[in-house]
Amino acid sequence: MRRSWVGPALLTPIAALIVMMILIPLGEGIRQAFIQAPLGIGPGRFVGWANFSRVLGDPVFWQALKNSLVWTASNLILQLTLPLFIALLLNERFTGNSLVRTVLLTPWITPGVVVAVMFRWILEPTIGIMNDMLFTAGLISKPLILLGSRSHALPTLIAINTWKFLPFGTLLILASLQTIPQELREASRADGASFWQQLGRVTLPIITPMIWFVAFLAFTWNFNLFDLIWLTTEGGPANASMTLPVLIYKKAFKMLQMGDAAAIAVMASAVLVVLGVLYFKFAAPPEEG
Amino acid sequence: MGMPARLRRGLLSLLGLLLVVVLLFPLVWMLASSFKPLVEIMTSQPQLLPKNPTVANYAQILWATSEVKNFPRFVMNSLQVSLGTMMLTLILATLGGYGLSRFRYRGKQTLSRLMLFIYVFPAVPLLIPVYKLMTRVGLFDTHWALILVNTTFAAPFCTWLLTSFFRAIPKELEEAAEVDGATPVAAFIRIVLPLAAPGLVTIGAYSLITAWGEYMFASVLVIDNLKKTAPLGLATYMADQYIEWGPLSAGAVLVVLPVLLLFYPVAQRFIQGFIAGAVKS
Repeated sequence: MRRSWVGPALLTPIAALIVMMILIPLGEGIRQAFIQAPLGIGPGRFVGWANFSRVLGDPVFWQALKNSLVWTASNLILQLTLPLFIALLLNERFTGNSLVRTVLLTPWITPGVVVAVMFRWILEPTIGIMNDMLFTAGLISKPLILLGSRSHALPTLIAINTWKFLPFGTLLILASLQTIPQELREASRADGASFWQQLGRVTLPIITPMIWFVAFLAFTWNFNLFDLIWLTTEGGPANASMTLPVLIYKKAFKMLQMGDAAAIAVMASAVLVVLGVLYFKFAAPPEEG
Repeated sequence: MGMPARLRRGLLSLLGLLLVVVLLFPLVWMLASSFKPLVEIMTSQPQLLPKNPTVANYAQILWATSEVKNFPRFVMNSLQVSLGTMMLTLILATLGGYGLSRFRYRGKQTLSRLMLFIYVFPAVPLLIPVYKLMTRVGLFDTHWALILVNTTFAAPFCTWLLTSFFRAIPKELEEAAEVDGATPVAAFIRIVLPLAAPGLVTIGAYSLITAWGEYMFASVLVIDNLKKTAPLGLATYMADQYIEWGPLSAGAVLVVLPVLLLFYPVAQRFIQGFIAGAVKS
């Protein structure tokens, strides 16, 4: 056995980066939440909980919080169920399976800004292909506004975001499915188990840890997602698609209310850290020690 | 009561085809439309394939450059940032992953969990402090700032993925090399690294892809037009009052195509590597 200091020593560079780029900034961010600096310039002065109480009295904050919850929950449900069924499909043998697998990751690789360009164009009310197809199919009689509509913006973004993140969950769940011995599946099928019985009794118990892992990744990614929303609606119209990350960015870098932005950031981080601790305590990642 | 095997497989193929269409349609649409002249774009009845294909959109985005909109420069900047991120990530994750897999010490399990736990922290709240930090250390408005940020968000996950690759390599191979007189470092480079190659390809692709598309930090940490990355550049075209969809889609194709061309050849390997890394049993 090698000397025991070598292992920790090899971890120093990455640990240093994490401390410098995440932990110290996080501390600095918490400090910022209690500071008021006009236009974000200068050292500012300590104002206690003033930033928090102002934010809590702001209806836009509550709207963003509500949107964030709807956004995260809907994305999570879609990004757990759809990938499960796609993975079940890909775990079967059929012509074209390897083609699907090869192109599967395409949406995930596509940069967020490109996704924004594509879907803004496709969904454009006057020149977009989506409206043309709906017209042709006789489903609409006047242009359907999606991203520019207060009621449709958030659901539309949820659909686009799910398109982008489907592949990742599918890939992980498929990996987990492949650990199920073929004999086990065949045996249960020979016993006359239906698709749903097999799913419930054989498949799900084995892949549950992986489902939790995908849920964890999807939760943090979706909650924190910024670029797609910013580059399509900027949280609008009238804050209809405003989520907490977008609000933090807008307040900090467009309205220059650094203190308010930091206060929202502290509250959002607190919730995430609590949920993260719960996940690691009760549903640790699929790994042995 | 099962349906005939051939019918079943045919149905599955059909579902698979439908899935391929859903996955690829937006990109195919944009690729085809990037070759359309203006009249075929500004119509309420757009067709998938251009009737009079043209490369004018590409010519415009590549050659009609200005101080603010220098697309070729944006792409070069992105290349620099993502290659830098990839190299730094490979170094840090290789050291860290090896450190987490080959040695025994207290707190190792916790450290390994920590590599994933840091993803709980939302990135947006870090924007302001990181912006201030970069200003203080003089890296604001440099590509180094972006390389450091991108590496911070890619390397921990990559470290975590790599540990299982290193664990899978028998210790005896290294020990044998050392008995033959190789130093531990030489044994690591000659024996371990080649065997971990699939893992290295995986994390290399992962870090490259995430850095190539990063928008949020870049939008805050870089202000000089000559230093903007491709995602930032595209966003400037999108922020125009009158969006020129033709050149914009040509630019978007040029941003997404390199990663796809780079990725498809290693896709199978990436997926296998990812699976091997994620299913640790």
